[in-house]
Amino acid sequence: MPQTPARGHDAAPAPHVIRSDAPLDALGESEFADLYAEHNRAIYYLALRLLGDPQKAEDATHDVFLKAFRKMDQFRGESSWRTWLYRIAINHCRNLQQTWNERHMLSNADDAVWETAAARTDSPLRVLETKELGQRIQQALEGLPPEYRLLLLLVADEQLSYEQVGALTEQTSDAVRGKLHRARKAFTVLFGQTA
Amino acid sequence: MKHQTKLDSREAQQEQQSDTRQAQQTTPLEFATPEELLRHDALHTPVPPTIAHRLQESIAKNPSPPPPWWRRLLGGSNQ
Repeated sequence: MPQTPARGHDAAPAPHVIRSDAPLDALGESEFADLYAEHNRAIYYLALRLLGDPQKAEDATHDVFLKAFRKMDQFRGESSWRTWLYRIAINHCRNLQQTWNERHMLSNADDAVWETAAARTDSPLRVLETKELGQRIQQALEGLPPEYRLLLLLVADEQLSYEQVGALTEQTSDAVRGKLHRARKAFTVLFGQTA
Repeated sequence: MKHQTKLDSREAQQEQQSDTRQAQQTTPLEFATPEELLRHDALHTPVPPTIAHRLQESIAKNPSPPPPWWRRLLGGSNQ
């Protein structure tokens, strides 16, 4: 079973895959333990960067996997386990944030800010000090419109295709590609300002 | 004399380690895209092990979920 399907292909439901983070001593040897072992890092990281607080991210990850455990029988295999878990996590984090509402709908004025920003975005992102890297990333992400933040975080997951990212964010894969360009630029500008 | 040689060797080794550390600290990491940076960050962000323990406790309070539809359909207890 491949651990990382190539982008562009919908991953088949596969809870039994290579375990990266495997606290199986806590959850025992079960299908659900495999599911947790395979996906806990992705879900925790998404929650951490969406909520911006390690304790909230821990609580959210616990709640997401508990919901998944209770609803495992409802999983029909129409999406990958990863996508299914992401959907639960995104909804959970949105409910927690409560400020999401319609603010993720961007106006042209929002884009203009990044388009006119005086920063080189075609050069690679350079990091000298990794100690505070997480804080800098969080700061840059929080400066982004929520839609861009979510797009970048999902696209960063190599297990997700653009189609899957589109399904999770309720738009076409072409729309994802178009917005991704602007999201990258906006992030690069904001990240540069955190140095 | 032999003791002095050992000291020299140790000093040279420490100096070398220090140089390596300095090189590691000053060599910038480069990421072509924000996604690469986020992937790096995700890989280096540890997941608190307490989540698994909390989940274990929460699951213990809940009955096991019924078998998936496809398992019920097949009528078997195994996959």
